[in-house]
Amino acid sequence: MENDNAPAIVFDHVSVTRSGLNILDQVNASVPRGSCTVLIGPNGAGKTTLLLALLGEVNYRGNITLGGGRGLRIGYVPQKLALDRGMPFTVAEFLSMGIQKRPLWLGISRQARKQARDLLDLVHATHLIRRRVGTLSGGEMQRVLLALALQQNPELLVLDEPSAGVDFEGGRLFCELLEDLRKSQGFTQIMVSHDLGMVAHHATCVICLKRRVIAQGPPAKVLTGEVLQTLFGMHMGLICAQDHLHAMPAGSGHTASCGELHHD
Amino acid sequence: MIDLSWLFHLASLFPLDGMDMRFMQQALVALVLLAPMTAALGVQVVCYRMAFFSDAVGHSAFAGVAIGLVLGVNPHISMPLFGLAVGLVIMFMQRFSALPSDTVIGVVFSAVVAAGLAVVSRNNTIARDLQQFLYGDILTMTETDICWLLALFAVFVLFQIVAFNRLLYASTSSIIARAHRVPVALFEYLFAALLALVVMFSVWGVGVLLVTAMLIVPAAAARNFARSAGGMFWWAIVVSLTSAVTGLALSVQPWMGTATGATIILVCCVWFVASVVVLAVRNERQA
Ligand SMILES: Nc1ncnc2c1ncn2[C@@H]1O[C@H](COP(=O)(O)OP(=O)(O)OP(=O)(O)O)[C@@H](O)[C@H]1O
Ligand SMILES: [Mg+2]
Repeated sequence: MENDNAPAIVFDHVSVTRSGLNILDQVNASVPRGSCTVLIGPNGAGKTTLLLALLGEVNYRGNITLGGGRGLRIGYVPQKLALDRGMPFTVAEFLSMGIQKRPLWLGISRQARKQARDLLDLVHATHLIRRRVGTLSGGEMQRVLLALALQQNPELLVLDEPSAGVDFEGGRLFCELLEDLRKSQGFTQIMVSHDLGMVAHHATCVICLKRRVIAQGPPAKVLTGEVLQTLFGMHMGLICAQDHLHAMPAGSGHTASCGELHHD
Repeated sequence: MIDLSWLFHLASLFPLDGMDMRFMQQALVALVLLAPMTAALGVQVVCYRMAFFSDAVGHSAFAGVAIGLVLGVNPHISMPLFGLAVGLVIMFMQRFSALPSDTVIGVVFSAVVAAGLAVVSRNNTIARDLQQFLYGDILTMTETDICWLLALFAVFVLFQIVAFNRLLYASTSSIIARAHRVPVALFEYLFAALLALVVMFSVWGVGVLLVTAMLIVPAAAARNFARSAGGMFWWAIVVSLTSAVTGLALSVQPWMGTATGATIILVCCVWFVASVVVLAVRNERQA
């Protein structure tokens, strides 16, 4: 899966400095085409910054090469979105503003509304269509944002902690949904996640980031006790083990990697 | 010059004392053109939190006129052009400066106000016009001004058709919008340019002190009335138009005798209070 053709994204010696602080230091990594690549690392490791560099939102040194060139269709789900809660702005409008040519003050076209409903169906949030965007909960908003990103019909899906704030059911749904879509539409997915259980289960490639790349590769190889210890420090072992109890109740193939850490 | 007599004839049919006078017809036409523009742009100003921006552009009116007089340019031309330049300079500086945007605006704001006062303090003949800028005077709109307003209105309608959805996208999150291939910078610059021009024309109407009110108050009332972004656009226009016409009608009544601009804003504020009540009642019912 990894080597059939050129990688979708190559980070080549990417460094980001902000207010004199080295946030990313010579990051070298590649994201295989059609993969589900997950960035993991502690808070402040520079995961969001790396994604923003990829989107061209922060200045960086080094090179980021996109497989499809700069005209690539990208769908992006941010880590958090600060919205004006009192704004009258419906979910239907939110999902129509990008596709409808007619201005929204002339109403939503039937076609746009149908597409909005289909997208919401996809993320299991059909009931939200009449709600105001400002009144959505964090998890509901994440679903709507994912719908907006999928609307792009993306070749590259960039997700910054998409399942943060999404309930257990929703988190699993997100992963399975994205996996299905990825297989049927063949897009490349790069995401940040703190849910190691999910990473072990769904990722095809993991990049461990802490200012620089600590390790990268398939989860079974990368999620070793040693790497996780470098990445998160000692205490993370416990959390990781708990995570697995939660997310992977029955004997899953990857529990061993975290079990090792526990015995360390 | 385009023949506008049909427009004034139309205005003269409005049931209000004194509508047979040309300056009243011109005032009404000017207001009916200005009100929807300030209202609709106000909705976007609220989304983008650009009230301070429009305030700064409004305050550059005086410097624009003063500089025009010094250079021997017709103030009716130098003022909008200067406002446009100030607006674009602010946008440009915001984009390429690490300073917070209100600091950038504050610096430009101070510079234009100081420049205006400096020129005026050297030249007493302009000082007499100061009052007109503070309070505005819609009754002094010339026919040429109205021609320009008509042109601006056409551009405005076109802009709202093309840019409304995209500005909404960009104001939700400029990063998402850019990632999803919306040309955010282009539309933001166009928006700032249009806003600067509309603000400058509104200075004639309601004065420097109340320009921001023309943008913000209808949008604020609309925010309470409306249930969708499209609805907010229309509500703002309804509030603004009715306030403008009512304000004009009231201000020329002998028993009122108030400045037109101030009267219009007061009517807007009544609308706003009504919208707060409506919202409270609606929330009560839902609870
Ligand atoms: N605009 C900025 N100016 C200065 N420093 C910044 C800026 N944005 C982020 N940083 C710093 O860069 C570092 C990395 O931030 P980043 O948001 O990329 O972390 P992250 O890995 O996404 O963390 P989290 O898991 O909390 O989301 C942090 O130490 C942060 O303080
Ligand atoms: Mg982050």
